Amino acid sequence: MREAAATALAASCASCHDCGLLAQMPASSHGEACCPRCGAELHERKPRSLERTLALVIAAIVCYVPANLLPVMTVTSLGKTESDTIFSGVIYMLDHGMWPLAIVLFTASIFVPMMKLSILSFLLISVHRRSSWRPVERTRMYRLTEMIGRWSMVDIYVVTILVALVRLGNLATIEAGAGAIFFGAVVVITMLAAESFDPRIIWDRSDPRST
Amino acid sequence: MSEQQPPLSKTGVANAVVATRERPSIVWLIPLIAALVGSFVAYRTLSERGPEVTISFKTAEGLEAGKTQIKYKDVEVGLVESVTLEPDLSGVVCTARMVKGANGWLTEKTQFWIVKPRIAGGQVSGLGTLLSGSYIGMDPVLDGKKSRSFVGLEVPPVIGMKEPGRYFVLRSNHAGAVDVGSPVYFRQIQVGQVVASSLDPDSDNVTTRIFVRTPYDERVRSNSRFWNASGLDLSLNASGFKLETESLVSMLIGGIAFDEPTGSAAAVADAETVFPLYTDHDAAEQQHFTRTVTWQLDFDQSVRGLTVGAPVEFRGIQIGQVTNVRLYLDEASGEFKIPVLVEIDPERFRGREAPPAESKAFIDRLVATGLRAQLKSGSLLTGQLFVSLDIFENAKPAQVVWNAPIPEFPTMPTPLEEITNNLTRLVERLGKIPVEQIGADLSASLKALRVTLQQSEGVAPALKDTLAKTQTVLESANGLIGPDSTVNTELRRALLELSEAARALGLAADQFQTQPNSLIFGKKGSK
Repeated sequence: MREAAATALAASCASCHDCGLLAQMPASSHGEACCPRCGAELHERKPRSLERTLALVIAAIVCYVPANLLPVMTVTSLGKTESDTIFSGVIYMLDHGMWPLAIVLFTASIFVPMMKLSILSFLLISVHRRSSWRPVERTRMYRLTEMIGRWSMVDIYVVTILVALVRLGNLATIEAGAGAIFFGAVVVITMLAAESFDPRIIWDRSDPRST
Repeated sequence: MSEQQPPLSKTGVANAVVATRERPSIVWLIPLIAALVGSFVAYRTLSERGPEVTISFKTAEGLEAGKTQIKYKDVEVGLVESVTLEPDLSGVVCTARMVKGANGWLTEKTQFWIVKPRIAGGQVSGLGTLLSGSYIGMDPVLDGKKSRSFVGLEVPPVIGMKEPGRYFVLRSNHAGAVDVGSPVYFRQIQVGQVVASSLDPDSDNVTTRIFVRTPYDERVRSNSRFWNASGLDLSLNASGFKLETESLVSMLIGGIAFDEPTGSAAAVADAETVFPLYTDHDAAEQQHFTRTVTWQLDFDQSVRGLTVGAPVEFRGIQIGQVTNVRLYLDEASGEFKIPVLVEIDPERFRGREAPPAESKAFIDRLVATGLRAQLKSGSLLTGQLFVSLDIFENAKPAQVVWNAPIPEFPTMPTPLEEITNNLTRLVERLGKIPVEQIGADLSASLKALRVTLQQSEGVAPALKDTLAKTQTVLESANGLIGPDSTVNTELRRALLELSEAARALGLAADQFQTQPNSLIFGKKGSK
């Protein structure tokens, strides 16, 4: 184990979220600590980070179920109505030999949201258990989650563009299904969850010096 | 004990405990809302799920799991969830999820079939499925035992279960050109359709089920006649040529027509009544009465031109038809006989109030007064013969042979009409000769002759004298007109010429008789 460096927390200091100024936190907990330079509220760690993240992850998992079971897109073409869920879309692509598209769709719409939820759940559990197991890798996982979060919206973008473009009356009409809304909710909520998680907690808990 | 007591302050008052109770974060609303919305959606989805049914088909042509819909009156009432093969590979089983509330429609009589483009029965159906793909049609029946597994129809039902009308059954020897979907006509208006056509398992008959829509179903009476109105009916019989058809559609795809006999108000037929199906309109017309009696007519002349179906008429009214013409050699007499079997409608051949013709006494009485059967030429154009019944006053006495297998009815040879006519004319001419007047004239002449003879009594002596003189004259004349005299020769020649002239005159008279116009235009060929 390498030697732990001094942390701001240990010195009862906090950096401003907005301007980055390091300030000494007051001893008493009366009132709210504010940044002496820009006036923003100061926290040593994101307040209630774990609780918020947990709530959002649970909400995302709840939304993930209907997002995959309900149709995301209803195509009405020449009197023939077809409703496709995300997974049936992947199967359709595979059946028609468009496996690169199938891989993209599967990765963006099924694999990535699932991975994000798994990573966030894993981080929450490990932090809760005060695990000191590989904090560097866990932090990398967190970075990955935050980075790819926005990309899982690809599916929603495709649906919205198609709905707007394909308005050919009886020939062909595409309507967004309820699944798309839930899917969008999953993506947004996981992004918020990743945002509300404070990765410094990983290090706090694994730091042997912290109490 | 002191450890159980709360610590006391200097003033002896207990210290307040500082609770660090935190209100739950507002962020918990998000999973709460997500759970609420999710469970609402789940509830709605589940509550909209209707019963699951299984339908078996011969083939899954056009069926796609998750895509093929079940429709009733073009409203979606279900969706095929899976299509699997039967364990014994005899067909496919299609599992479908019906919409909520479909429970009441799923009874044993409910029918399912695959709707695909079809051109049959004079109509094109299911064209929409060319683009949209097949779907499963459903015809729900509300009453009956509930059921969850069905056997799909291979052919869509022609008539919906709820269409008002009645079904009838027709029996015939052959199906003709009638197929499922063929129209049924009443006075050339389409009033129904053929629903099914099949061969009886236990007989050679063809059973055809037809559906007649309300209100036309009341036109089907217990004595209605049905006939096959398929195609063109071109017939050549004793009445000449005849061309019949119901409509262009029935010409192409066949059809059935029916009619009620005029002037008879029979009761409206019950549903599922069995009717005979006649091959054509004439057959239906002739077999108006189902009861017939068969007679055998033995003809010993040529029956060329007599066909099965030729009419049997009594003074121009058809009372039956020929059913069979045969030929056999009577070994006892060595003569060929041609027995002709005819069917007679007893109802059409009867006294005003008398029992119908099947009564033997009635027939015997008629035969005693001269009722005979005879072959007559019906049409000069076609040479067709028909059987004519008539009363011949001077016919040779004969009797019906009732104890034969088929009653044998006496016949008359065909009249040679030319001879009859000539004889009639001769008799007429003979009747015109004034025999009485000739007799009267003759007797008057005889009287006058007698008077003359009486007067001649007085002349006798003179006559004797004259005779003597005459004798001398004759003697002298004998020399003059003897066999070798010139006068004799001359006279004989003159007589010959006279006889020639008389013969020529006779020829001329004949000529004028046969060709009266030769008097004016000259003898034909004389130029």
